[in-house]
Amino acid sequence: MAAEVFSTFYQFADVFAFLILSAAGLAIIFGMMGVINMAHGEFIMCGAYVTTALVHAGTPLVIAQLSGALVAGMVGIVLEVTVVRSLYARPLDSLLATWAVSIMITQSMLIIVGSSFAGVGTPPGSFSVGVYTFSTYRVILFFAAIGVLALIYLLFMKTRFGIFARATMQNPSMARALGMRTNLVYAMTFGFGAALAGLCGALYAPTMTLIPTMGATFIVESFVTVVVGGSNVLLGTAPAGLALAIVRTWLVSWQGQIVGQIGMLLAVMVMIRVMPNGFSGWFAKRFG
Amino acid sequence: MLTYINGPQTLGNGRGFWISFLALCVAALAYPFFADPYDVGNFAYFLLWIFMAMGVCIMWGYTGMLSFAQTFFFGVGGYGYGVLSIMIGEQFGLTFLSLLLAIGLAGLSAVVLGYFMIYGRVIGVFFGIMTLSMTLALAFFLGQTAGPEWAIGDARLNGFNGMLGMPPLSIPWFGGDIVFLDSALYYLVIGLLAVVYIGLRILLNSPFGHVLVAIRDDQERTELLGYDVRKYQLIAFVIGSCLAALSGVLYTAWGQFITPSSVGLPAAAMPIVWVAFSGRSDISATTLGTFVILLAFQTITIYSQQWALILMGALLLATVLFVPQGFVLGLMQIVQRLLALGTRGAKPAGSKGGRA
Amino acid sequence: MLKKTMFLGALSAMSISIGAVLPASAADPIKIGLLEDISGDLALLGLPKLHGSELAVEEINAEGGIMGRQIELIHLDPQGDNARYQEFSRRLLSRDKVDVLIGGITSASREAVRPIIDRTDTLYMYTNQYEGGVCDANMISVGAVPEQQLSTLVPFMVEKYGKKVYVVAADYNFGHLTTQWTETLLKEEGGEVIGKEFIPLGVSQFAQTIQNIQKAKPDWLMMLNVGAAQDSFFEQAMAAKLDYPMASPIKVMLGFEHKRFAAPALSGLYAVANWYEELDTPEAEDFKARWRAKFPDEVYINDMGYNAYVAINQYKMLVEKAQSTALADIRAVIATGDACLDSPEGKICIDPKSQHTSHRMRLISVADDHSIVTGKDFGVIEPYWLGEVGCDLTKENPKTQYSPDNLPG
Repeated sequence: MAAEVFSTFYQFADVFAFLILSAAGLAIIFGMMGVINMAHGEFIMCGAYVTTALVHAGTPLVIAQLSGALVAGMVGIVLEVTVVRSLYARPLDSLLATWAVSIMITQSMLIIVGSSFAGVGTPPGSFSVGVYTFSTYRVILFFAAIGVLALIYLLFMKTRFGIFARATMQNPSMARALGMRTNLVYAMTFGFGAALAGLCGALYAPTMTLIPTMGATFIVESFVTVVVGGSNVLLGTAPAGLALAIVRTWLVSWQGQIVGQIGMLLAVMVMIRVMPNGFSGWFAKRFG
Repeated sequence: MLTYINGPQTLGNGRGFWISFLALCVAALAYPFFADPYDVGNFAYFLLWIFMAMGVCIMWGYTGMLSFAQTFFFGVGGYGYGVLSIMIGEQFGLTFLSLLLAIGLAGLSAVVLGYFMIYGRVIGVFFGIMTLSMTLALAFFLGQTAGPEWAIGDARLNGFNGMLGMPPLSIPWFGGDIVFLDSALYYLVIGLLAVVYIGLRILLNSPFGHVLVAIRDDQERTELLGYDVRKYQLIAFVIGSCLAALSGVLYTAWGQFITPSSVGLPAAAMPIVWVAFSGRSDISATTLGTFVILLAFQTITIYSQQWALILMGALLLATVLFVPQGFVLGLMQIVQRLLALGTRGAKPAGSKGGRA
Repeated sequence: MLKKTMFLGALSAMSISIGAVLPASAADPIKIGLLEDISGDLALLGLPKLHGSELAVEEINAEGGIMGRQIELIHLDPQGDNARYQEFSRRLLSRDKVDVLIGGITSASREAVRPIIDRTDTLYMYTNQYEGGVCDANMISVGAVPEQQLSTLVPFMVEKYGKKVYVVAADYNFGHLTTQWTETLLKEEGGEVIGKEFIPLGVSQFAQTIQNIQKAKPDWLMMLNVGAAQDSFFEQAMAAKLDYPMASPIKVMLGFEHKRFAAPALSGLYAVANWYEELDTPEAEDFKARWRAKFPDEVYINDMGYNAYVAINQYKMLVEKAQSTALADIRAVIATGDACLDSPEGKICIDPKSQHTSHRMRLISVADDHSIVTGKDFGVIEPYWLGEVGCDLTKENPKTQYSPDNLPG
């Protein structure tokens, strides 16, 4: 019985971690900044590839993962300066531009690095509860997801940069009038979002197939989580991840993967219908 | 009614435009007489996608609703035609009954789903993600229909491998049926395209069309002016969806084949890409641009092997960065400006609804 | 000057119209249309296929071509998009007027091509292993089918590990049909499927599946997961200490998972293959040396790439025996039952009834360090199923894909 309870919780934690980690970067870039970033999956792929390459070169996994996130962040800053910057006034065009960037990046990776990349293997470590054995690394992923949520909260609520960033997103001209270097704030915020996406890739890299189009595996879950969360990512992302993880875990364990997949998408439709502004909009209305 | 064929919501209203329009029509009709039959069939194939793009243009460009559900209705139309035409048969031109019923089915589902979303005040990106979820759910569902239990009459949905065995469109004629493949299909699609294009121009320049544009520009103000915004959005959604279904039927009849990949990602993003490239705020730009981009993408793919996707990406990126209003729309505006300069003293035509 | 050009133009126009009527002269190349995905998700599998085809064409041309005619290979990249398969097969057939069409990775792409090829008199060669069952006179299937892989693998696994089996399959046609095959063959051996799970394509997270397997406690697993995302199962199962023996008709030789994942994720997996790069017969070594000389960076010479190479050699054999590129003449050769080829795996023949290829099947298993151990040699196995259930292309051409739940008649 204890084994069943733990197993259920483990399943939930696993889905939750996947949703939160894949959505975190997008929550910043799309939720906060309003850029419909179709290249989100490519930031994830970038983090995963850099991590794997560094581990192959002998770097310890944790350092490789942090570097993966860092490199993805830098790629994000370059993309912000060269492409995204001119599109803030036309958010819908950012969709086309980032989609174009996305296919260019995946195809370039295919040509340069090749059609596949040898994996590095999950860090060993497992434990058993009752008849079940579990991977320790996936528990670490769950805590990493909680850590990322905490990091976002602290950065945007407790630091000077966070205040600047929120001010800039809310009213860029006023922020500029008050002497903030809004261009820099935009670039840094975008870079932070890209780095979080890279971190997702870095964390999942040891557990997954590495191919140039691997980012596509994450893209639907991430967009869905962010949108159900609503525009205030500090308020919305966590409950959205929670709700969707519960729905999905329950459906998958009850009726299998396909029902879980379709059911989660239908649940998204119902949630948006009930809360047309997402979780954060609903909170704001109830308690704001 | 024909007075609405010209108006402020469509670019190209002067005599010059209509002369070039007629010239284009004549050229299109004459084309099969001196072209390679393969090219005629290939052009017919490009043209049949344009209806879906026109639907995006109506919903997104004119009404401000970004829908990822075009391939949902494309799938309903395509699979609908497949099932119905296998069940009803292909004699006596009954394939056209299947065509109409399939579009009707798509229209009905658009009314239901559109009502569910639009009357629930789902707008903006929320509308986009909701329609995307709907589309992916359908794609996943169709993908798992491999087993024999997923059959309607003799028509097996056949899962990921795709549905086969539906007849092409045909009508009885003296001395044997006309089967709409290759050049016959080409003429059919050209005819449909002309009718739909003129019809949409009339719709967009009518009072109804003005309300759609008003909703796009400021939904709240339109509402305060006393319009039931939701009703207009729903109608636009249904029209757009039926156009997508028409594309779906024509595609399925063309290749006698449809798979769930025509519904899911990345297919679902493609109509939006075409329309954004062409210039979403004008129906003529969309019509022309979709053809141009389909032709360009195919040509690039044929001649550049692995570099094709990079070139396509670069083309799109350059369009967004340097011709923000869309490639074809940008060109059309330049032509119009030049024409205006030519007719001495006339003011340059004001740029129209480029922002949405 | 002008007159001369016009005259030449008229002459060449004449020669074209004559060429359409008369049999092609020795100087005209034989055109092979090739459709392989070298962009997008499937590039992993499509690139070796393109390479195999290029190698075959280069070798044949160097030795004087087919009946003295050089081969012109026209490759287009459909990027994994079924609609592009439709567009490009039309283009190759009507514009380039190819003599034979080869390629396609997924079953969906094959089904996209079939309605188009069936309206022509052109031969199509599908070079992948697949779920089997296509009974179509325009098509030759080069790859292995379930009866060749599973009728050998399943009895072996039952004997070695036991009768209780858990199936993890991709939720589409291949997965469902191969699961049916597994169930049927298990029943003959007195075994049973105690649990099965169908996974939608693109799913990459398997924690729940792993737990379901642990709960069911099977003797071994039948792995029918497909695609790069679903391959993540192996890594995740290993991390969770799920160490059941595994069997699969598609792993290792096709997607070279043992090269892509860190050891020992695949250890304890058994497969039956007609080709895998570790095959070390003298013919295979020679073939690999030629391949590696031309493509030194190839990650793995997989069975699809090998089949693509074999297909063009099969075509050469057929045309030379028929002394013609016409479909009817080629099919007359197949009908004799003597359409055989000495390939790197051994002698293989095309079955007249189903136009599928017989294969020499060998058992392989993955060791802890991901090296491949060659096991039992099952000899040449015929693609017998279609003929048994009533498909006979020498008599009629139903152009249909049959399955155990959709039999002829």
